[in-house]
Amino acid sequence: MHTKILLDEEHLPKRWYNILADLPTPLDPPLHPGTGKPVTPEDLSPIFPMELIRQEMSPQKMIDIPEEVRDILRIWRPAPLYRAHRLEARLKTPARIYYKYEGVSPAGSHKPNTAVAQAYYNMKAGVERLATETGAGQWGSALAFATKVFGLECTIYMVRSSYAQKPYRKSMMHVWGAECIPSPSTKTKAGTAVLEHDRDTPGSLGIAISEAVEDAATHANTNYSLGSVLNHVCLHQTVIGLEAMEQMAQVEEYPDVVIGCVGGGSNFAGIAFPFAGDKLKGSHKETEIIAVEPTACPTLTRGLYTYDYGDVAGLTPLLKMFTLGHDFVPPSIHAGGLRYHGASPIVSKLVQEGTMTATSCYQTEVFEAAQTFAQTEGFIVAPETSHAVRVAIDKALECKKTGEEKTILFNCSGHGDFDMSAYDAYYAGKLEDYEYPEQLIRESLARIPKIPT
Amino acid sequence: MSSPPQSFPRITVGFLVNPIAGMGGAVGLKGTDGLVEQARIRGAVAHAPGRAKEAMVLLKDAPFRFLTCSGPMGEDILRDAGISGFDVVYSSPGAETSSADTREACRVFRSIGVDLVLFCGGDGTARDVFDTTGTGIPLLGIPAGVKMYSAVFSLTPEAAAEILLQQGIGPLSLPLRDAEVVDVDEEAYRLGELRTRLYGIARSPYLPGLVQGTKVVFEDRDDDRARAGIARFLAEVMEGTPEILYILGPGTTTGAIAHEFGLEKTLLGFDAMIKGRIVECDLNESSMLALLDQYAHVRLVVSVIGAQGAVLGRGTQQVSPQVLRRIGVSQVIVVATPHKLTETPMLFLDTGDPGLDAGFGEFLQIITGYRTAQRKRLKRSTGSCQ
Ligand SMILES: Cc1ncc(COP(=O)(O)O)c(C=O)c1O
Repeated sequence: MHTKILLDEEHLPKRWYNILADLPTPLDPPLHPGTGKPVTPEDLSPIFPMELIRQEMSPQKMIDIPEEVRDILRIWRPAPLYRAHRLEARLKTPARIYYKYEGVSPAGSHKPNTAVAQAYYNMKAGVERLATETGAGQWGSALAFATKVFGLECTIYMVRSSYAQKPYRKSMMHVWGAECIPSPSTKTKAGTAVLEHDRDTPGSLGIAISEAVEDAATHANTNYSLGSVLNHVCLHQTVIGLEAMEQMAQVEEYPDVVIGCVGGGSNFAGIAFPFAGDKLKGSHKETEIIAVEPTACPTLTRGLYTYDYGDVAGLTPLLKMFTLGHDFVPPSIHAGGLRYHGASPIVSKLVQEGTMTATSCYQTEVFEAAQTFAQTEGFIVAPETSHAVRVAIDKALECKKTGEEKTILFNCSGHGDFDMSAYDAYYAGKLEDYEYPEQLIRESLARIPKIPT
Repeated sequence: MSSPPQSFPRITVGFLVNPIAGMGGAVGLKGTDGLVEQARIRGAVAHAPGRAKEAMVLLKDAPFRFLTCSGPMGEDILRDAGISGFDVVYSSPGAETSSADTREACRVFRSIGVDLVLFCGGDGTARDVFDTTGTGIPLLGIPAGVKMYSAVFSLTPEAAAEILLQQGIGPLSLPLRDAEVVDVDEEAYRLGELRTRLYGIARSPYLPGLVQGTKVVFEDRDDDRARAGIARFLAEVMEGTPEILYILGPGTTTGAIAHEFGLEKTLLGFDAMIKGRIVECDLNESSMLALLDQYAHVRLVVSVIGAQGAVLGRGTQQVSPQVLRRIGVSQVIVVATPHKLTETPMLFLDTGDPGLDAGFGEFLQIITGYRTAQRKRLKRSTGSCQ
């Protein structure tokens, strides 16, 4: 019985899977924030290179991965798939648990899968600098690495509270030559406006996005890069699921349950889209595909499915997605990468239509699961990832009750080596269980822009 | 009494100890005033001077100038702790000190002008000090006993010193928060029942860092900021539900909600609001019942009171089980700042009706900020003091 299911380098996917081609009905288009009309490629060209804009809207089912990108992905890909024998034994479950381990990348998460592709296309388009935001620093460090590889400069707006509390993520960005600025900053109008209103704000992903977009829009040599949410980002992450599918096939398995945590939705999309594609095409209809989010920021389980901005200042196109409102500042949970008010429009649509489901977990529950995982499988996972671990364990425990021998696959999106203070807080009994007071918030009238839907 | 010094270069702290704090209660007497001899005969020992010294030795090199009282009410402790920069500004006339001495000493502190009053005693001492200082002078209590219910007390004597050591040279810069002073019914307490009443709300220094340890939390650090967020959120909820009558309970967090509408509510009582107006102040049980006859939709907004974590304790007698039953458990909104919650690790309901208490379930949702809530496990307390 295998513990580690490995693919040869030649099996690194040559093409990404574009689930847009398999959606039964088309995605609602992004709308221009000024006119309310669907955005055109020209609208996006000041901040994105044309090739990424094309991918964002492409009807083509399989999209070639450039060789230069594959060369870099080869540093750590194909990523291993593990069978969690020791976890299964601990849980005494008849279920078989597999996890795809994305913590092997240089930055320690799935984020470089798209960072490398984005940096490459921008380099090809003659762009000299990329501006982006980062929450806990995972995405920032991934893009810092990728821009260095392709010789671009990189400016990263890092959410202020994390900037102060995740010093090593910041150090990684510096090693890879990126500039890292705490957000909100006075470098942008958006940041200045927030600071004038509230000097002591902890910042948020939504604010940092506003700053990075503004930076890109106001500098001709600079483009913007987003680490999640958008279609092309989800597309680049499908290497995860494509590899996993092949690895599962090697051991003659197909998952009954596929699980991933959701911040903006990219690592979940990465593992899930190839399997969701099967489901949409009518095979493996019974596969359960589960998105896991924190109770502190329950976008898919408690949000509204409507058009909203991607950022606080309202600079981005309006996206049709589940949202808690673009001005919602989620509580400071340790899974900083899951503190986002919205979610990928494709993931949102698939949840809305029932192809996928969503659930939420409390902070203390996920750390308990992460501890069990670390003590059996060895890997100390990121707080974000621990949400997926929690639900994988819960599903396996369900099987123990029912006696079902389900095959469970989850995406182990990153390691937690720079998150040890979060584990310390857990052991010190200092983690709060946050909730989203949905009823009261609805009554307080969410400030979602009024756009015909 | 020495004449008031002209100006002090350092922060001036009025320091006093109630040397007999807690002695009566420890041996089954109701209070200690006037009963010290009897308490001693029953075997009571004075703990307050020792506890005070534990804090003061840590403040030996702190940038404070102390004003204090003679003998065991301060002077002896400061000297034992190795502190020399102090003036004795009050001397107790009698052999045994009493509540009157605490009040008088605070009056002297106030007239000379102190930046802060640091005292060691119990809840009774806190009330005596607060009666004189009000909210004008910040207070900090060194707990003389095991369990003090007013939120002006630090957890331990060492913690009091740690809080004060945040102060650097220059004007008073300690972070301040609202802290409840409570009145505990000592007789009921000795019979195993905790009945507290909110007596007043003082300003008290605190240690933001200590509270959250190594955490990522940033917005929690400032208590006033968190309170403003809660108030803004609840005000938006109230604006969005003009058909609902809101009964706001005691405290400054609920007070901040009324402030959002430019209104001043009864600090220690229950006021009713609808459509941004106060319809009735300082409600009692019968006026609440009358309002419940009049309005179809009523919600109760209460905060966590005191350091003991009562959400609806027997001290809030206006909200009788009958009132609560008619409002409905699901219509109770509990608010508290994150700092407050970390100070009160155990929350409990003690409405006087176990059936009602059970209706709240195992967990309580508490609004802790703008559109933010925390889930806390409820302790099923009924009567027990522990
Ligand atoms: C390890 C890890 N997992 C998951 C996420 C969530 O992002 P997404 O939903 O885009 O995968 C992040 C984001 O920072 C992350 O760092």
